[in-house]
Amino acid sequence: MPAEAQELTAETVDFEEMWRDPYPLFKRLRANNPVAWVPQANHFMVTRFDDIVHVERNQDIFRSLEPRSLVHKVMGHSFMRKDGDAHLAERTIVSPSFSPAAAKKIWAEKFRLIATDLLDQIEGKGKADLFVDYATPMAARCLCEVTGLTNVDWRDIARWSQAMMDAVQNYAGDAEIARLGREASDGIDAAIDEMIGARRTDEDKSLLAMMAAGGMPLDSVRANLKVIIGGGQNEPRDANAGLIWALLSNPDQLAAVRADDALWMRGFEEYVRWISPIGMYPRTVDKPTELGGVMLQPDDRLFLLVGSANRDEAKFEQADRFDLHREKKQHLAFGSGPHFCAGAWVARMQVANIAVPMLFARLKGLALDEDDPVRCGGWAFRGVLNLPVRWDK
Amino acid sequence: MPKITFITHSGEHRAVDAALGTSVMHAAVDNDVPGMVGECGGSAMCATCHCFVDAQAFPALPPVDENEDAMLEGTASERTAESRLGCQLIITEDLEGLIVQLPDNQI
Repeated sequence: MPAEAQELTAETVDFEEMWRDPYPLFKRLRANNPVAWVPQANHFMVTRFDDIVHVERNQDIFRSLEPRSLVHKVMGHSFMRKDGDAHLAERTIVSPSFSPAAAKKIWAEKFRLIATDLLDQIEGKGKADLFVDYATPMAARCLCEVTGLTNVDWRDIARWSQAMMDAVQNYAGDAEIARLGREASDGIDAAIDEMIGARRTDEDKSLLAMMAAGGMPLDSVRANLKVIIGGGQNEPRDANAGLIWALLSNPDQLAAVRADDALWMRGFEEYVRWISPIGMYPRTVDKPTELGGVMLQPDDRLFLLVGSANRDEAKFEQADRFDLHREKKQHLAFGSGPHFCAGAWVARMQVANIAVPMLFARLKGLALDEDDPVRCGGWAFRGVLNLPVRWDK
Repeated sequence: MPKITFITHSGEHRAVDAALGTSVMHAAVDNDVPGMVGECGGSAMCATCHCFVDAQAFPALPPVDENEDAMLEGTASERTAESRLGCQLIITEDLEGLIVQLPDNQI
């Protein structure tokens, strides 16, 4: 709870409205109440870019460890919620699977085969929901390769990821959502047990291979892989579908990308700035401090709203526009500081170098289906919910 | 504190006093030297503290290890034989007078 002495302007938030469209609220909070106390959620909402960077640069004041969190309960104690050396030790073990070199030399070829297979399946149909038929299986099948859980059907990976994501946002304590989260967790544990002892070649740079070689304790393997499945399924899926939607909605920018291959990556970075797939992650105050004029006490909990920071008018001009030609600048879609997204390089490869360019090269006359509009939802996690399109058969 | 000099892509020279035990990346970021980002705060994960140093002139610099080598594959500006990640260059007394060239782009 916040200290009694200071006067805080408590915010009452309409979470359903925030799920539909959080950006008007974010804009108001950035202007009027940038570190806003929200009693309903028992959290402060931090909405400005510079304040979030300050939090991430000062891990001795703001910690990731938070045993009260739903992430901790659903997935176990992963490196995403560890600090300092405990975090670094586990992060170092997995980095050979996640580096830019690994993305280029190990994963790119496998990802291209997956994209080719998916496009072979849909090309003759002339219409599809690319969220369901492309972005979802692309992310899941890539994730089977990168994790080393090649014993799992991609549909299970996709389902488990969604079930865990729903369970970590289950603030209302819905019993069925909690049950599905446990079922996902159990399914992943069983798949790990089956694969962890598998004989491996030196060429195997999967996460399971690195974790086994690095002697990571089984509890950590389980928790870390759950976090990686949670972040490695929904987020690249949403970036993939979202970038396709943004380009189809902006034909001039699509024409520019088609004329210059270097712009696919600009488009990707701009999409994740504009609608950040992870719009929020939490931190906990560890030492008394001040942030944005608000005094904070140990165990105060913060929502870092990077979905807001990435539209901060102090940082980005016309921040509400998707504009891949805008000046190159740091955004916070992958976070910042020691917990900078481990999968960033693999996601960039999957989406910006492979899935999206290959789709536009293969499907001629691709256009949004005007009879079935695209819908978006979410604030902690946000993205398109469908992507109906047509093309020339 | 050893003095190190950053040369930005536009040719500006910035000499800073670097605290022992921190890194070349921190020396730039803490002194607002333009052209150094350091998104991941020094974890060798983001490749936005790319810089160029003359290893022959400064034999005290640590060699590029496997992880740094893998991350240098992701730099926004082209990698050269002098490429390093600033976060992996820890400041010691031996780095007095180090000259660090910054690339045109980190993002």
